[in-house]
Amino acid sequence: MIEYAVFFFFASIAVIFAFVVILHRNPVVSALSLVASFFALAVMYVLLEAPFLAALQVIVYAGAIMVLFLFVIMLLNLQRQREEPTRPIQQFLGYLGSAAFGIGLVYYIAKYAAMALPVGPFVADARTVGVALFESYIFPFEMVSILLLAAIVGALLLSARGVQWP
Amino acid sequence: MIPTQWFLILSAILFTIGVCGVLTRRNGITIFMSIELMVNAVNLTFLAYARQFHQLHGLIFVFFVMAIAAAEAAVGLAIFISLFHHRETIDVDEANLMRW
Repeated sequence: MIEYAVFFFFASIAVIFAFVVILHRNPVVSALSLVASFFALAVMYVLLEAPFLAALQVIVYAGAIMVLFLFVIMLLNLQRQREEPTRPIQQFLGYLGSAAFGIGLVYYIAKYAAMALPVGPFVADARTVGVALFESYIFPFEMVSILLLAAIVGALLLSARGVQWP
Repeated sequence: MIPTQWFLILSAILFTIGVCGVLTRRNGITIFMSIELMVNAVNLTFLAYARQFHQLHGLIFVFFVMAIAAAEAAVGLAIFISLFHHRETIDVDEANLMRW
């Protein structure tokens, strides 16, 4: 029973802070709410018996990616930027379309995606994930490292000021 | 154990919030954060199905999605910094050079 209480508590935290992310006008508040939402999602990962990915979620997402977002927001001094409502019709259509999309999605999942619970424990700890990663997924793993290198070079090149493009 | 369906519903709600943010906001960084929200909703779906079917592939895929999201965030934020240096704003309506 305590499992259900934890699920509902952190699910509501995740949803509420996700709403704050898209509704608040100050980007700093949005970024910090997104961090809170990611922490709640890490609790969900623990409930799904994947503690390694929960730790990764906190370290990589909440720790690294969101700090990058905060750095950029503060570097560009965006706290004061206002969004004037210049396109009310398009904005209304956006709210309407996404609400219809969400209602349809939740309806069909609730109606058709009922599944019997799996039997037996399934614990995906760091050891299991590591063995799979370095045995059957070694090629994608190396490709991801090359991709990260390309991203570092691209980010440096794009954000540097006064670079003469070749 | 909590049914898989509930995790799917939570994931659908978070994904919808992300879609709503992308469609309605014009601040580039907020749009980017909405995209991160959608990526995380999909990660939750992957993990829910990984537990449902006792498969490790879902977990590995979440690992790769996190790495690619990090790369995407770095390059995307660099693009916004560059845009800010040129236009003094990150309102995506102002970046209309290639719009017909």
